[in-house]
Amino acid sequence: MLSMTAVKKIYRTNSIETYALSGIDIEVREGEFVAIMGPSGCGKTTFLNVAGLLDTFDQGSYLLDGQDVSRLSDASMSRIRNEKIGFIFQSFNLIPDLDVFDNVDVPLRYRGWNAKKRKEAITESLQRVGLSGRIKHLPSQLSGGQQQRVAFARALVGEPSLILADEPTGNLDSHMAEGILDLLDEINQDGATVVMVTHDATIAKRAHRLVRLLDGQVVEADSVPHRSAFSLVESL
Amino acid sequence: MLFYQIRLAFKSIRRNPVLSMLMIGGIGIGIGVATVFVTAHYLFSLNPIPEKSDVLHHVQMDNWDPNRGWDDNDPEDIPDQVTYRDMVNLMKSDIPTYQGGSFKTFLYVYPDPEMGRPFKKITRMCFSGFFKMFEPPFQYGSGWDLSADENLEPVVVLGPEVNQKVFGGENSVGRMIRIEDRDFKVVGVLDHWRPFPKYYDPHNGAFETAEEVYMPFEFFRLLKVRSAGNTSNWQEFDWSDDDQYLASEAIWIQFWVQLDSAPQKEAYFSYLNSYVEEQKKLGRMQRPTHNKLLSVMEWLDDRGAVPEEATSLMAISLLFLLVCALNLIGILLGKFLARAPEVSVRRAMGASRFSIFVEHLVECETIGVLGGLLGIAISIGGLEAVNSLFDNEFSFSLDGNMLVVSILLSLLAGLVAGMYPAWRICTIPPAVYLRER
Repeated sequence: MLSMTAVKKIYRTNSIETYALSGIDIEVREGEFVAIMGPSGCGKTTFLNVAGLLDTFDQGSYLLDGQDVSRLSDASMSRIRNEKIGFIFQSFNLIPDLDVFDNVDVPLRYRGWNAKKRKEAITESLQRVGLSGRIKHLPSQLSGGQQQRVAFARALVGEPSLILADEPTGNLDSHMAEGILDLLDEINQDGATVVMVTHDATIAKRAHRLVRLLDGQVVEADSVPHRSAFSLVESL
Repeated sequence: MLFYQIRLAFKSIRRNPVLSMLMIGGIGIGIGVATVFVTAHYLFSLNPIPEKSDVLHHVQMDNWDPNRGWDDNDPEDIPDQVTYRDMVNLMKSDIPTYQGGSFKTFLYVYPDPEMGRPFKKITRMCFSGFFKMFEPPFQYGSGWDLSADENLEPVVVLGPEVNQKVFGGENSVGRMIRIEDRDFKVVGVLDHWRPFPKYYDPHNGAFETAEEVYMPFEFFRLLKVRSAGNTSNWQEFDWSDDDQYLASEAIWIQFWVQLDSAPQKEAYFSYLNSYVEEQKKLGRMQRPTHNKLLSVMEWLDDRGAVPEEATSLMAISLLFLLVCALNLIGILLGKFLARAPEVSVRRAMGASRFSIFVEHLVECETIGVLGGLLGIAISIGGLEAVNSLFDNEFSFSLDGNMLVVSILLSLLAGLVAGMYPAWRICTIPPAVYLRER
């Protein structure tokens, strides 16, 4: 699903070069649920941005779903983001003056579906996250957990094959976080590949596999399926 | 998608109502001012007689000083009126469908003492062909016929104002009216007629009102009146002597012919050239032959009927609109960049740079169109003010074409104001703002 080889991302300011990713090699297979861990500044978010085609990279190669995405136009990358990738952010990133329905509608607007098809997809997606009764609510009228569920509905509504989640439970209490993680599990069981960045080892346990980053490189990539990999995490 | 973008634009406008009103007001004032002056310019350049402008022709020939042309700065320019003798000679041609010279003067009208005091009124001395060619609308009766010209019958056509003053606005056809020291029989009363510009005589006030009294041309001799319009001359003669005046090279008559077909026009132009060649043999018109037979719009264009002031004011008003639009760039830039996090979310959801650009441009155009609607309201008031400034001598008003122009100007202003801010917001790196959010 996702294959990066020797990917480097360098931030340049005047004469200083900072390597956010310094030759990262990573492969995520279709249907996997992978957790990315590492200390602050290790390149987790940069990796996620590059993986989600929100940021470019300077060297290396990146195959997404078998397609080389190194030199795509903005329009092509946008289409891939729209059709194949669903983003979930720590701070939900809902658009404050759009109601729940319109927030979930955002990705579909760029896909060009007709109104009927969009409505059906939005309704189904909101039902899935348990918020079908709140479609006219503004984000400010919802709790943090509900807002994250709306964000999930928005990420899922276009039926993407890859979910990129950046600290999805970072702004939630443990009870709400549990519900959100259950949703991630469910999405993964339905066939979507999930890559989740987190700094919380307990949360990372919900993934099938753990990849640990340090200074922009993969330092440990456990290929052992599911829970057994987390003995490593706990020892860190 | 466009409706979605317009909906987003209105949401954004409602989000900052004060700022939005400022922007709409700025564009509105710019559009209002521009529309007033573009409308004025447009009305000045309208075809005053579209149904006949191609068949009516203004006649010119160069009878000027062999040693010094009509216009030192423009050798192509030739005298814009004709002499009395040339008019008389040209009217012997039977090629035109209708023809005739005319000139403006002022005559005293003597109403019945019970109706009012004598008054001086703008008058046109003309031939019967004047009414056939220019087709002024008649309230009652009609113009006189050819025999009235030939037999110098004392007939007159009145304008509605004089008919109101003298006859209380009634059908006065057949009644007598005293003008100067003679009685004339009314044969027609015009309805309101305001050729704009006054194309048949732009020499003497292109935007003046039409005359209120019309009488057969040759009465000018009996009434001993001369042109109250421009008269130009290059030869010495005794102006007080009528015979010398009429035989002179002084030009004071506007001469028009109606030529309904291309062969007719060709034949008449050939006739005109032959006439000039004959006059050369008689010692007149010694300058290079350069005759003009211009249709109405060619003639107005040649005259430069649109006042330079109107063109200058239009240019200044468009510059003002440009300044208004440029002023909005900073406001829009600030507003759009404050929305970078939301735009980044949209980018993450699959919006391309182009989609974001278009979305923001639509918002600018929405502001532009709302400003345009306000501007149209302002311009309606502005045009009323212009009309009242000139004692309603003009009747400037917006027509369908100008409404379309106003909306196009609004869209253009929105485009000018929005291009740079829309481009800036569509090129933001989404990863940066998603992280900051």
